[in-house]
Amino acid sequence: MMTDALLQVAHAPLTAIALTLAAFVFALWLYRRTGWLVLQPVLITMLLIIAGIRLLQLDYAAYRDAVVPIAWLLGPTTVALAVPLYRNLRRIRDNLWPVLATLLVGGSAIVVITLLSAWLLGADLPVLMTLATKSVTMPIAMPLAEQLGGLAALAAVLVMLTGVLGTVLVPPLLQLAGVIHPAARGMAYGMNAHAVGTARALEEGDECAAFAALAMGALGVLTALMLPAAVLGWRLITA
Amino acid sequence: MLKGLLLLVVMQAMGALLQALWLPILPAPVIGLLLLLALLVLLGRIPDWLEQASAALLGYLPLMLAIPATGIVLGGDVLLAQLPAIGAGLVVSLVLCIPLCGVLMQRLMAGQRDDD
Repeated sequence: MMTDALLQVAHAPLTAIALTLAAFVFALWLYRRTGWLVLQPVLITMLLIIAGIRLLQLDYAAYRDAVVPIAWLLGPTTVALAVPLYRNLRRIRDNLWPVLATLLVGGSAIVVITLLSAWLLGADLPVLMTLATKSVTMPIAMPLAEQLGGLAALAAVLVMLTGVLGTVLVPPLLQLAGVIHPAARGMAYGMNAHAVGTARALEEGDECAAFAALAMGALGVLTALMLPAAVLGWRLITA
Repeated sequence: MLKGLLLLVVMQAMGALLQALWLPILPAPVIGLLLLLALLVLLGRIPDWLEQASAALLGYLPLMLAIPATGIVLGGDVLLAQLPAIGAGLVVSLVLCIPLCGVLMQRLMAGQRDDD
């Protein structure tokens, strides 16, 4: 009797929402408490939710249905990225050509080099289409990967890995290359390690952080516009 | 706050409409983002109520991203099966492109100063 009632509550939609919110609250607390970049709130929240689903033996499809009231907000939140991007537009105007050229050349190089090295080691098409979005901020990368025939969930994980790994690699590599200008360092952070890199750039100063945020937003939008066009063109040529 | 949320949802809906009509390759929220950006450029400023709504939503972004990311329980096999290729793609591009982006930007800015 008692266990029946317990099971009923455990499998109610409310439990799925409670699990999700609890995972996020704990992940945020852990991140602020430790300050470790590796403990990204997205990563920890995701792992805790998966552990909770396994532990409570919830059906995954039922879980996703239950948390729709939270998940639908991702769309409007992606639209809201226009606000910080607009705030940084002024900086583009002051450095229009350097910023645009770096975005175009660097952004293309990231995609081409990623695809080439993965393709040489035998990645299949869905994985390649997912990898193409790995340097883009996650809310743009996930729907973009899906649209291109990749896997949205894999895109989320790859974007996270890139952000953490990129942030760790930026300081030594830039020192090796002799890059000291805060704007140039910011571009490297934002383009290669998106939101995680931008958080780290904030510790280097305002100018570095502003350019990182600018690079992240602009590269995301630029990739979302150009990658589908490139894929479409490729299909037309090879068809 | 609600006014801001309403504007964001309307922009996303318009994005979905444009996607259905002419732009099947772009995700609807990304089209919505571009529409809002164009609107802000026309307006020349960020209204307070939009600022509040977007700041509140963006603060919870990790929560909203974590939910679709849990889908990896269904696609985890792909990640493990092609781990060497995926790992190489990530590491090689980072090692080459981080210096490339930094050096390029630094050189170009120095060049611009010289022209002035």
